[in-house]
Amino acid sequence: CWNQETEAAVSPLQWPENGDQWSDTEEGGIDMEECGLAAMAEEDEEINIYNNETFGSVVENEGHPINSLPQLDEQPPEPPSSPSLPSLSPSSPSFSPRTKPQFQIQFPPGLRGRGRVPRGGQAMAQMFEDPAVVTTVEGRQSLQVSHYSCVLVVEIDSLFTQTRSFLSSSPRPCPSTPQPLTPKMMQLRFGANSPRPFPFYSPSSNPVLFHRFPGPVTQLHPQHRRLLSQRQPRSQRKPDWDPYCNIMSAKEKEWIIRLQMIQLQSENPNLDDYYYQEYYRRMEAKLAEEELGMRGKREPPKLTTPYVTKTESYTPVVHIEGSLGQVAVSTCFNPRRAIDAVTAHCPHEELKDLRQQRLDVLKKIEKLFMVLLDVEEGQRMKAHVLGEGEESRLMERTQRKVEYIFSQFQNPSGDEFLPCLLVSKGKRLMARLLPFLSRDAALKVLRVVTFHLPILMSRDTDESLPVLYPPLRTVIGAVTFSQLIGVLKDFTASSPDSSDGSDCLSLACQSKFGLSLLYALLSQGERLLSSDVPLEPSIGDFETWTDTVFLVASQLSQSALVEPLLLPSNLLTLFCRYLDKRTVHQLKSNIESATGHLAPPS
Amino acid sequence: MLDLQLQITYLNDYTFGFIKTLLFYSFFKSLVGKDVVVELKNDLSICGTLHSVDQYLNIKLTDISVTDPEKYPHMLSVKNCFIRGSVVRYVQLPADEVDTQLLQDAARKEALQQKQ
Repeated sequence: CWNQETEAAVSPLQWPENGDQWSDTEEGGIDMEECGLAAMAEEDEEINIYNNETFGSVVENEGHPINSLPQLDEQPPEPPSSPSLPSLSPSSPSFSPRTKPQFQIQFPPGLRGRGRVPRGGQAMAQMFEDPAVVTTVEGRQSLQVSHYSCVLVVEIDSLFTQTRSFLSSSPRPCPSTPQPLTPKMMQLRFGANSPRPFPFYSPSSNPVLFHRFPGPVTQLHPQHRRLLSQRQPRSQRKPDWDPYCNIMSAKEKEWIIRLQMIQLQSENPNLDDYYYQEYYRRMEAKLAEEELGMRGKREPPKLTTPYVTKTESYTPVVHIEGSLGQVAVSTCFNPRRAIDAVTAHCPHEELKDLRQQRLDVLKKIEKLFMVLLDVEEGQRMKAHVLGEGEESRLMERTQRKVEYIFSQFQNPSGDEFLPCLLVSKGKRLMARLLPFLSRDAALKVLRVVTFHLPILMSRDTDESLPVLYPPLRTVIGAVTFSQLIGVLKDFTASSPDSSDGSDCLSLACQSKFGLSLLYALLSQGERLLSSDVPLEPSIGDFETWTDTVFLVASQLSQSALVEPLLLPSNLLTLFCRYLDKRTVHQLKSNIESATGHLAPPS
Repeated sequence: MLDLQLQITYLNDYTFGFIKTLLFYSFFKSLVGKDVVVELKNDLSICGTLHSVDQYLNIKLTDISVTDPEKYPHMLSVKNCFIRGSVVRYVQLPADEVDTQLLQDAARKEALQQKQ
């Protein structure tokens, strides 16, 4: 999987044996005047105190690590009482020959008295193979080690000297050569009992995959990478000369970057990285579809989403009884409410005010969305290889969920689609639910929409109605002739919702959705009539059909029309069949002026 | 281009430890390579190409230009910058690069996950 990083095994470490000999800073170190870095030492002291308070107090009070590396959060055990340090040979390759490193280890207060720093500061250098540590010159260094935290804080004032000289003169190669991490160092850094970090590996043993952007170890989705390389021409190169390029060696930079990237490892990229993965997967799918030449009357693809796990419900504290307003402390378990969406339970429906009712509807729709995500995931799972029994059980579960959503949508009393449908989120929910509904249920939705079309159109302030068009068109494509007639009757009848008696038809001409729905219905009728499929019409169906066609034709030729979402190709054929040439011609020009291009020839 | 503005809010709880909320990290990852305008809490607005983002929503921009050059002349020579995530007030995004429905779904999933 392209999203994984390379891994290497690291064996667990032992705490150094003579850790009890580590001492406080006051007792050792070079005389500061010798190197004239007194001011920096003072600054170091302040930083030490700050770090003690930050990291040391954590150790004392809770023993929990301030831990931003999730895999490494196990509390290490007490170090043995007499750990010993590895010995450093003077010829250790980690030092540049001209420096004489001196180290002091300062332990957080909680650990003080347990161990003492060895006088031989060289011993520490090899232990802490962090490249930043190794870079030393004369002068006092102090290292903060928090035993329980995996953050290694290092102040090396001598480093400042070196970096300053870097800046002033021409760059020279960094004196330090980071060595492979030995197990001992891993232990020190991350604690004795921490699990081997994944995918941490020693800098020198594994080559790093450098991508041009955005960083050395970022893995991009192939589609994303393709997009970026198309967009950015090769000429956009970094400048050849970078005066700061040698302050940290490549390995040091890698180390820092990997330290951060470890935090982003997830055992579940599908969920943690959902937006990114899904966005580019869809883009890829869309492009692939386009390449296959399926242009033109393209219907928006069904939105399938990956799984969502069912969890125990958690009720956060958002309101404290008797208090006004919101809970003051904001945590991720208890975020501050941005809106007062939590309802005080009101027993009587009628007493709730309009705002409360709207919030109730929104809350209900959100709950249904959660179930819908389950359903869509269930469908996605179907594509994978499942056992016979598993698949049928999954389908059964999915179907029950679909029925649940459908019944909840209609309100407890049933048949009341409007409250949810009038909200744009409800329309979106229904649009995504429709493909899962049975034929009868889907037809019911179609009739409801057609029946209440005027009020839906008038209350569609943010123009979200068109989202229903593609799934409804699919439903229309499957209706029988009789069913179609039934739907059309709703269309041509005078609307029950409107007060001024204007009928649905005239209103539909002004609405993209309404007009497109009408066209789709007529197109289906024409399709059925011109096909060889036996129609099995009920009594009076044909008359209703003919009447409807005439009625629609006259309405369409009179009103100014908006551009529909889709203009079916067999529409004019239909009109030609029933109407005289002049009317057809007038219709044609009227429709064409709306769409801005020529209607398909009859 | 600048039709859509998202305000980023952080929910970090230091008492219980670092909780992974990677929704917006994932979201911004998908916008790498696109042009954005970052408005900081000090009212500085920086326009540039999103080069990278991390889990703290620190942002690296390349080829930047300040939307108000007369007010911030010191930015004239700056080509690339790193912006600490905590100082960002708004990020203005190209509307057609964002799938709001997908973002809503991702938020729903994140809400479920956070409850665990």
